[in-house]
Amino acid sequence: MAATAEKGTQKKSMTRDKQDIQKVRKPSLQYDIALLFPVLFLVGIGIVMVYSASSALALKKFGTSYYFLKKQSIFALLGIVALVVSYHIPYRVFRSLTYPLLVLAFIFLIAILVSGFGYSAGGATRWFRVEKITFQPSEFARFALVIYLAYSMNKKKDRIKEFKVGFLPHILLLGMFAILIILQPDFGSVVILGAITWIMLFIGGVRISHLLGSLAVATPIVYFLMVSADYRIERLISFLNPWQYSADKGYQIVHSLLAFGTGGIWGTGIGGGYQKLFYLPEPHTDFIFSVIGEELGLLGVLIILGFYTLILWRGVSIARNSKDVFGSLVAIGLTTAMGLQVCINMGVALGLLPTKGLTLPFLSYGGTSLLINMVSIGLLMNIGASKKMAKTKS
Amino acid sequence: MKQIKFRVIIVGIVFTLFFTIIGAKAMYLQIFCRSWLSEKAANQYEVSLKSSGKRGTIYDRNLREMAVSIDVTSIAAHPPQIKNPKAAAKSLAKALKINRNVLAKRLTSEKKFVWIKRKVTPKEAETVRNLNIDGLDFLREHKRFYPNKTLASQLIGFTDIDDNGLEGIEFYCNDDLKGAVSRYTVLRDAHGRGFEAENITDSDSRGKNLVLTIDSNIQYIAEKTLAETVTKFSAKSGMAVVMATGTGAVLALAHFPFLNPNALNEFDQELWRNRVITDPFEPGSTMKIFSAAAAIESGSCSPNSIFYCENGAYRVGRHVVHDTHEYGWLSLQQIIKYSSNIGAIKFSTKTGSESLFRTLHNFGFGTKTGIDCPGETAGSLASFKKWTKIDAGTISFGQGVSVSALQLVAATSAIANKGIFMKPYVVQAITDHNGRLIKSFAPSKGRRVISEKTARTLTRIMQTVTTEGGTGVNAALEGYSVCGKTGTAQKIGKNGGYANGKYVSSFVGFVPSEHPKVAILVVIDEPKGQHYGGTVAAPAFKNIAQKTLAYMNISPKSKTDGLIVSLGSKAKACSFRIY
Repeated sequence: MAATAEKGTQKKSMTRDKQDIQKVRKPSLQYDIALLFPVLFLVGIGIVMVYSASSALALKKFGTSYYFLKKQSIFALLGIVALVVSYHIPYRVFRSLTYPLLVLAFIFLIAILVSGFGYSAGGATRWFRVEKITFQPSEFARFALVIYLAYSMNKKKDRIKEFKVGFLPHILLLGMFAILIILQPDFGSVVILGAITWIMLFIGGVRISHLLGSLAVATPIVYFLMVSADYRIERLISFLNPWQYSADKGYQIVHSLLAFGTGGIWGTGIGGGYQKLFYLPEPHTDFIFSVIGEELGLLGVLIILGFYTLILWRGVSIARNSKDVFGSLVAIGLTTAMGLQVCINMGVALGLLPTKGLTLPFLSYGGTSLLINMVSIGLLMNIGASKKMAKTKS
Repeated sequence: MKQIKFRVIIVGIVFTLFFTIIGAKAMYLQIFCRSWLSEKAANQYEVSLKSSGKRGTIYDRNLREMAVSIDVTSIAAHPPQIKNPKAAAKSLAKALKINRNVLAKRLTSEKKFVWIKRKVTPKEAETVRNLNIDGLDFLREHKRFYPNKTLASQLIGFTDIDDNGLEGIEFYCNDDLKGAVSRYTVLRDAHGRGFEAENITDSDSRGKNLVLTIDSNIQYIAEKTLAETVTKFSAKSGMAVVMATGTGAVLALAHFPFLNPNALNEFDQELWRNRVITDPFEPGSTMKIFSAAAAIESGSCSPNSIFYCENGAYRVGRHVVHDTHEYGWLSLQQIIKYSSNIGAIKFSTKTGSESLFRTLHNFGFGTKTGIDCPGETAGSLASFKKWTKIDAGTISFGQGVSVSALQLVAATSAIANKGIFMKPYVVQAITDHNGRLIKSFAPSKGRRVISEKTARTLTRIMQTVTTEGGTGVNAALEGYSVCGKTGTAQKIGKNGGYANGKYVSSFVGFVPSEHPKVAILVVIDEPKGQHYGGTVAAPAFKNIAQKTLAYMNISPKSKTDGLIVSLGSKAKACSFRIY
């Protein structure tokens, strides 16, 4: 493939795609420091905080306090490799991978529901398990969905305003994913997928009336799903009035708020928090932000929020400057996916949103999430770099 | 493409807005709610615990343990940390055999700390530990245990679950016995496990030990005899007291029916009291010795003064007083020996109400003895100024006056002690947890109530009671001369008058007559079939006296002066003069 690219420079008749590949493959490929530094910083902080948050839990469950630290460190290394690799894959390659990715996502989602590969935790089957390796298909599905939507809307960009072409197929695909994921059940992921789709359709130029109409249809469905499961109602009630239910339903929120309050401005110092000592559920995944709030204080919280903002705006900028619609949509889709996760995870931890089991990108413990997010960053950087190359060329 | 660029910016702005809200909420929580939240958080992981030191041991005079505290585990819970209270309540209720609903209510309460079950058996604690329920706490507490079960239980009393004495010595000396309460803060994780506990020094907080005057051997003799007697006469209950005449030290203080404080709730509350001290009763004829003391002390009579006993029926005002046998002329000495009521009225009339009252009062009737036990009754002895003519008569033979068993034995003891009344006491020493003496209680100085001469005269008179023909002949011992007096009192019925067929039979006395060592009282309440003190109580007295004298190594007609008993190996330096 490298040889093809080398040859391609001399040939004028080559396709645009091939030209792009050639540009991207040039050894002078620049790393986007403004994007890479915040990501690596967050991953680093994540390893430290995962260790701090999980050591007591790991000691109790696995007999060694390093259990999660070791695994997260390995994930981080794999993640960096994945980032570099995906950075060097021209993003257009993903366009041709759209359907294989979609099919793979569906296979995984169906497999965990019907086969013996499904791995349950906390009453939900959200993981795919082979031997000792667990994998969360909904994270992968999110990535596949972003690629698909970008591919599809790019292809149909001229007829995007038509309901049957620009709107319905995308919503149907989303619906298929949603049904499979809601069966796990993983309501949070469905909400995220829905939001990503909605935002990408908005960016892609779908009629506002269609989007608003879809909201009108989705609201009763979401409402029905909310009231159909007791635990979701309980979460909602406890969210609205956590202190009144601090003993049971509001337990998580209350302890999360207590963690933030205890942290104050400067924090109790890394390792100095108490709420992770079995008060906070899942201190190393869903509630790592609370541990950060307690141990690193408001200062740490704002710095981390700042880095996420930086990543967000790098993503927005890359989406704006991409030279094609596909790149733009992929970039904003991936950025949106990360941004939504950050908002929902932090919103839950701070009591702004009802409890949802979602990880915090780069910081939370979890291999699939970290790998997918690192691949996303690599992809984003590739989209951004290809634009830069194009600019310098012209 | 242009539209995309514009809409992308909108998305970016919306996200930035969300991030700003998140940052604002974080600021709000971490700056403005800081003190409130951190205090609330501290409340959750800082648990202030109360720890009471081990309660002191109660020993008898031979340092035999009467009441001890043993380490036990108590199970508590921190309700906010219990994830699934209903399931927890279910499994705990099963393991500990307690009501599930009550438990569920406790586990869902708002409190930070609730007891699940206190002072559980080691097996129960192990079972609950294995349930692995988060939010439970296992605390070390002390449980009071009475190794001798029923022995002297009413005297010793008992404690509540918080180690506070509720009755008896446990109550009276609670401040000495109770361990110091220390409060300490423990930081806990959500499972209730402490992770930064302060060290608590145990020895400092331990309660002090008590050494009683009670001798568990004599106590056992008294209780056994009492049980046999009460059972034999199908009586309602019985009491017996053995007191060292020279000091006022109570050697035995027995009640029947027995009470096992280890299983308190299986017993009627009526049995919980130390009735020897708390319950007044009409003494009946035992009172005659004190009336005689008044007669002799006042100088109005001598033992040989003779009185006409009216052949068994004597009208005083509108009342007619009867004797059990018809007597003609009797000397004062004979009046006591045969226990003539009419005779007692006659010589007391000669003594005069005021002198009678004074002497009775001096002997301690109508006032508390001041023994170191709770709930003492003063009995009732109205002032002579309020006495009617019949009152003055009946009081002389023990009607219209009430006394506690303790008062009766203490007053009798004063006669044995050459006319000096010794305040009765049961606690002779306080020691620390190493057995070192902290404080010892010497016998009281004593109070002269009658002259030594009168006491000697009374001793001679009381000796005749147990000789041939006397009412107390059943109390006579081989090899020892016994001083005593029978008492048979009709009980007051519900409507105020005397109840038919309900008697209190008693015998009070001391042995040996020449050099008295112990004063003994036996009171049997409502014996069936027989009711004379001489028939019911006197044999019991004899039994107790005989075994006690043998136990104390007092040989017949001996002149041994006293025993020195050391307070065990740890406190060899201090010894107590007893008996």
